[in-house]
Amino acid sequence: MAPCIQATNVSLTFRPKNREPVTALREFSIEVATGEFVSIVGPSGCGKSTFLNILLGLLKPDAGETRLNGTQIAGPGQERAMVFQEFGLLPWRTVLANVELGLELKGVAVAARRSRAMELIQMTGLAGFETHYPHELSGGMKQRVGLARALATDPQVLLMDEPFAALDAQTRDLMQAELLQVWDRTKKTVIFVTHSIEEAAYLSDRVLVTSARPGRIKQIIKVQLPRPRDYEMRLSAKFNEIKAEIWNALKEELLGRGAGNGT
Amino acid sequence: MSPDPNLITRHTGQSRIERNSRALVRIGVSALARFYREREQPILGAGFILLLILAWQSLPAIVSLPRGISLFFTTPVEVVKAFYRLVEANEIQSHVYVSALEFIVGLGLAIAVGFPLGLVMGRSKVIDAMLDPFITAFNATPRLVFLPLLMLWLGIGIWSKITIVFVGAVFPLLINTYEGVKNVDRVLVNVVRSFGANEWQTMKIVVLPNSVPYIVAGLRLAIGRALLGVVVGEFFGASKGLGFMIATAATNYKVDVVFVGVTIFMGLSLILTHLVKMVESRLSRWRLEEAKTF
Amino acid sequence: MALKETISEYRRPLLGVASVVGLTLVWEIAYTYFIPLDPFFFTKPSLIGVAVKDQTLSGELWKDLAISSKAFLWGFSLAVIVGIPIGVFMGWRRRAEYVLDPFLTALYASPLVALAPLFIIIFGVGLTGKVALIFLLAVFPFIFNVFAGVKCTDRLLVNVVRAFGGKEKDIYFKVILPSILPYIVAGARIAIGRGIVGILVAEFYGASEGIGFAISRFGDTYRLPEMFAAILLLMIMAVIFTEGLRKLETILAPWKIGQEAR
Repeated sequence: MAPCIQATNVSLTFRPKNREPVTALREFSIEVATGEFVSIVGPSGCGKSTFLNILLGLLKPDAGETRLNGTQIAGPGQERAMVFQEFGLLPWRTVLANVELGLELKGVAVAARRSRAMELIQMTGLAGFETHYPHELSGGMKQRVGLARALATDPQVLLMDEPFAALDAQTRDLMQAELLQVWDRTKKTVIFVTHSIEEAAYLSDRVLVTSARPGRIKQIIKVQLPRPRDYEMRLSAKFNEIKAEIWNALKEELLGRGAGNGT
Repeated sequence: MSPDPNLITRHTGQSRIERNSRALVRIGVSALARFYREREQPILGAGFILLLILAWQSLPAIVSLPRGISLFFTTPVEVVKAFYRLVEANEIQSHVYVSALEFIVGLGLAIAVGFPLGLVMGRSKVIDAMLDPFITAFNATPRLVFLPLLMLWLGIGIWSKITIVFVGAVFPLLINTYEGVKNVDRVLVNVVRSFGANEWQTMKIVVLPNSVPYIVAGLRLAIGRALLGVVVGEFFGASKGLGFMIATAATNYKVDVVFVGVTIFMGLSLILTHLVKMVESRLSRWRLEEAKTF
Repeated sequence: MALKETISEYRRPLLGVASVVGLTLVWEIAYTYFIPLDPFFFTKPSLIGVAVKDQTLSGELWKDLAISSKAFLWGFSLAVIVGIPIGVFMGWRRRAEYVLDPFLTALYASPLVALAPLFIIIFGVGLTGKVALIFLLAVFPFIFNVFAGVKCTDRLLVNVVRAFGGKEKDIYFKVILPSILPYIVAGARIAIGRGIVGILVAEFYGASEGIGFAISRFGDTYRLPEMFAAILLLMIMAVIFTEGLRKLETILAPWKIGQEAR
C-alpha cells in the first residue's frame, strides 16, 4: 500500500527581488504512513513551514514530487488541512463561523455544516464560545478554533505549523494533551512542525530532524513510548533518552550556524 | 449614603422646616455637583457652543456696531427668521432639492466607479501600476481646478455639478478601497486558499470584509468632498441650489440668508458624518478598540 | 513566508510611464485624425505643450502664480501659527478638549467654503479675502493633527523629564514638540489641499489676478490649451508638495503614523 504522504527529492528556491535567492529545501524526502503522527524538528529557516505549504498545495516545488495516497498533489484540497501558527482566524467571524469556513467552501448546506461545526466545538472544548469573536479569546482558545476548523472538513491529513508556539508554557502543555486525545479519537495522519524537542518527543511516533538551510532530513528518531501517553511519562528516563537523542542530532546543526544566530 | 451628622446635632434653635429646607439645599447642591462631574464633557462642549451663540446674539445690544460692519452683520434670531421666511415662501425647498440631487447622483456615481476600480487595482498589479500616476496626480490636486472646464463643457445645468461632485468624491473611495484590499493579511488569504477557495471566494470571504472599515472611512471623506463640490459648483454657475442661494444672497448683502444656507450645509454634513460613524462602529464589532484612534 | 515574486523590480514604474505616454499619444492621434472636436471646447497634448512653453517663458503664468502663492503663504502661515498652539492646548488640558472639541469638530466637518461669498464681500477680492479663506480652511488640519499627536505622546517620557527636574517648558520643547512633529507634517499635507481649494474658490469667485483667475479667464475666452497648461502646472506643484511632505513624514516617523485625511 502506498504511504499516505510521500515526498521525493523536493527542492524549492525563493528568489526575492533585490536579494540573494534562498534555497529553502533541497532534495527533501519523507514518507508518512496513514494514521501516523510525525514531527519535523529543525533549526530556524530550514524550510519546515515551506514544506508544509508545499504539502498543502499553496507552493509549488521547483523539483521533486509530493504524493497523497499515491496521487500527485496539484493544489489545495480538502483531504489536507492546516493549523496555522498565527491562528489565521477571520477576525470578523464568530467562533462558529470560523469553524464552518472549510465546510462552507466545500458547499455543505447551512444546517449540516452548523451541526458538524458544533460537534467539533464540543470536541475541542469550545462549547459556550460559539458567538465570541476571535479578539475576545485567549491564545489557547484561538488555537482550539484553528484545530476545530481544520478538523471540520474531516481531512485525512492534518498539517500543523508550530501551532502552539505562540502560547504560554502551561497552555501549551494542556493543548498538547488535548491534541493527543483528539488524535486518538480521529486517527488523522499528522505532520507537526515544531521547535520544541519535548513537544516532538511527547506527541510523535517518529521525529524527523532536519539540517540547517537548505533543509534535508538528517535523522529519523522512532519514539517507542506506549500510547496513550500522559504527562507523567515526560518524567521517565526513557523519555529523556529520546529527548537526548533528538538534541544530539540537532545540536550540530544549531551550533554549525554560528552562535546567537538562531532562535 | 449616610446622612450628614451635623444636620442632626447642630441648629437646635431652628425650626424643623428651616432645618429641612437647608438640608434639601445641600442635597440639591451636591446632586448638582455630581451631575456636573459625571457629565462634564458634554456640558462643557454644549455650553461653549451655546455661549458663542448667545454672545453672537447679544453683541449688537452690548456694543453699537459701526454702519460699515452692521451691513454684514446678522444674529442667530435673524437667521432663524430668514429660514422660516424662505420655507414659507416655498423657496428653500427647491434649492435643497437641486443640491440634494446633485449630491446623491454624484456620490452614487463615485461609489459605483471608485469601489470596483479600487478592488481591481488592489488585486491586479498591472492595472495598479498603470493607473497609479494619474491617481496620484489627481488626488494631490483639488479637483475644483476643473470647475471652469466642466462649466465650459457641460454648461450651468446640474450635470456640471454632478460631475464635479463625482470627481471630488471618487478618489477617496477608490484609494481607501485599494488600501483595504492591499492591507489584507496574507495568512488569512492562505487560510482560505488552503481550504480550496478560488479568487472570487477569497475576495468574498477575506478581502472584502477586510476592506469594509477602509471603505467606510473613504465614504466619510467622500461625503465631505461631495458637499464641497455641490457648494462651490453652485457658486459659479447655477440657477438653483443652496450654493447658488448663498452666492446671490451675499451679493445682495442678505447675510441672514447666507447663514441659512451655511447652517443647512453644516447640519447636513454633521448628520451624514454621524451616520457613517454609526455604520463604522456597527461594522467593526469584531475589531479591538482600533476605531478609536481616529 | 512570501509567495514567489515574479514581477521584476522596474516593471511598475515602466508601466506607469508607458500608460501616461500611451494615453497622451492616443489623445493626440485621436484628436488629430479621427475625432476632431471643436477646438473651442477641446484641445490636444501638442497644443498644450506649446501653451506650457509660451506661458512659462513669457512669465505671464508665473506672475499669476506669484500672486496666489503670496496669499497662500500668508494664510498657511497664519494657520500654522494659530492651529498648532490650539492643538497642543486641547491635547494637553482635558477641560480645553471638552470645551473646544465639539465646536471645532463641527466646523471641521462642515463645508466652511460655503462662507466664501461672505468673506469676499466683507474682505474684498484682494489679498485679505483670500488669506482669510485660506486660513479658515487650512487651520483645522493643524489643530486636529497636533491634538492627536499630543494625545499620543508617551506620558512616561513626560514623567522622565519631570523626574530629572524638567519644567513645564522643558516638557513642551523636549517631549511634546518632537513627538508631534510628524503629525504636524501630516496636517500640513492635508492643509495644502484645503488651502489650494481656498485659493481657487476665492479667485474663481471674484479676483482679477492669480492662478485661479487665470484658469477661469482662459475658460471664459475659450483658450483651452492655456487653460490645460495652467491646470497642469497647478497639478505638478500640488504633487510635488504633497509627495514631498509624505516623504518627510516617513523620514520624521519611520515607524509610520498613518494619519489619513479626514
